[in-house]
Amino acid sequence: SKSEMPSYKLNYFDARGYAEVSRQLFVLSDTPYEDNRIPRDQWPELKKTMPFGNIPVLEVDGKQLPQSLAIARYLAKQFGFYGKTAFESAWVDAIADQFKDCLTEIRPFLFVAKSDGNEAEKERMKKEVALPAIEKHFGLLEKAAKNNGANGHFVGESLTFVDLLVSDFVGTFEAFLPGFSAPYPAVTSIRAKTIATPKIKEWIAKRNVTPT
Amino acid sequence: FSAISQSTMPAYKLYYFSIRGLGEVPRQILALADVKFENVGITKEQWPEFKSKTPFGQMPVLEVDGKQIPQSFAIARYVASQHGLAGKTPFEAAWVDALADQYKDFNNDFKKFFYLVLGFGEGDLEAAKLEHGIPARDKFFPLVVKQLKSNGTGFLVGDSVTWVDVLYAEGSSRVAHEVPGFLDDYPEVLEHAKKIHAIPQIKKWIEARPV
Repeated sequence: SKSEMPSYKLNYFDARGYAEVSRQLFVLSDTPYEDNRIPRDQWPELKKTMPFGNIPVLEVDGKQLPQSLAIARYLAKQFGFYGKTAFESAWVDAIADQFKDCLTEIRPFLFVAKSDGNEAEKERMKKEVALPAIEKHFGLLEKAAKNNGANGHFVGESLTFVDLLVSDFVGTFEAFLPGFSAPYPAVTSIRAKTIATPKIKEWIAKRNVTPT
Repeated sequence: FSAISQSTMPAYKLYYFSIRGLGEVPRQILALADVKFENVGITKEQWPEFKSKTPFGQMPVLEVDGKQIPQSFAIARYVASQHGLAGKTPFEAAWVDALADQYKDFNNDFKKFFYLVLGFGEGDLEAAKLEHGIPARDKFFPLVVKQLKSNGTGFLVGDSVTWVDVLYAEGSSRVAHEVPGFLDDYPEVLEHAKKIHAIPQIKKWIEARPV
């Protein structure tokens, strides 16, 4: 009932990044939440109030929870987007962690790519950082997607939070590395199916447009 | 009351190199859960062929009745969740996950120094200590001490051991052993490792382990 539902507040920058998967989980489950987007100039002060000095941080009835995947998993469990068995859940976690390794490796490129100027540096980082990370990790993601039957989901027969996580970042990568996903048709079809999900499609059309 | 008889328990096999590394935490969690498992050590010679049989070309891999799960945290959480070692509530379980991921963030930086200490890769050890080791340590361990103090039970989350206690205890004790004195400013962290390693199933594993 409404009175039993906790109040949720998601704190992050005005960006998709590591918070978008959780926003989409709220949207998919029709769960109200406060989408608190912290302006960059307020961050130095607010940083001190976050448990690990980083965001996203979810507040559940005022209690803080840091770390993007911990937040996503917590919400996914509540709302039913974490696989249908313990084994499926383990595979959602495994693919999410594998993808997080990809993000860690590619982040220096994204940081440079979304800044103004310095085209030579962008090109160098694309060759030395971004493309190797993509080749290493997307090959594995494609394999996982194919092993699951290339059915538009990474795990099982229905949407899980790792579909949301990867799909949004594929959109980001596509903007900075056009055509990069051509060798990965099963991953591409997961993104296509995910963003065509009615509530997600509606959310994408109305959310703030941000580079990352 | 357990509804699971010995005959319906799944057969667990954990595959990793015969070193502690990323395999040690899953092994300790299996031991802590009192779960029988086959601890398979893959040699350097066996690895190229075995690699192609793993989902992500990496280890550790847990096999559950022949079906594989990759990624050390996914393995740890899977075993822990089934044996009461992942927190008592969904929010506690989420904090266990958050602390584990924060450790991973710390290690991503710290390993630029620590791998050199362990003899992997090449580089200037002293420079790496100044640039990566010390800053990563002093950014991370105050948070750990804060968490231990505010939780107040001797465990990182809740009032009983969880898989993230095992993760942190292995990490901190390894660092303290390989770089003597390195964690002396964080006695609460060393106390925590001692407490976790004194848990009978873990103590027994540590005493009997091959490496």
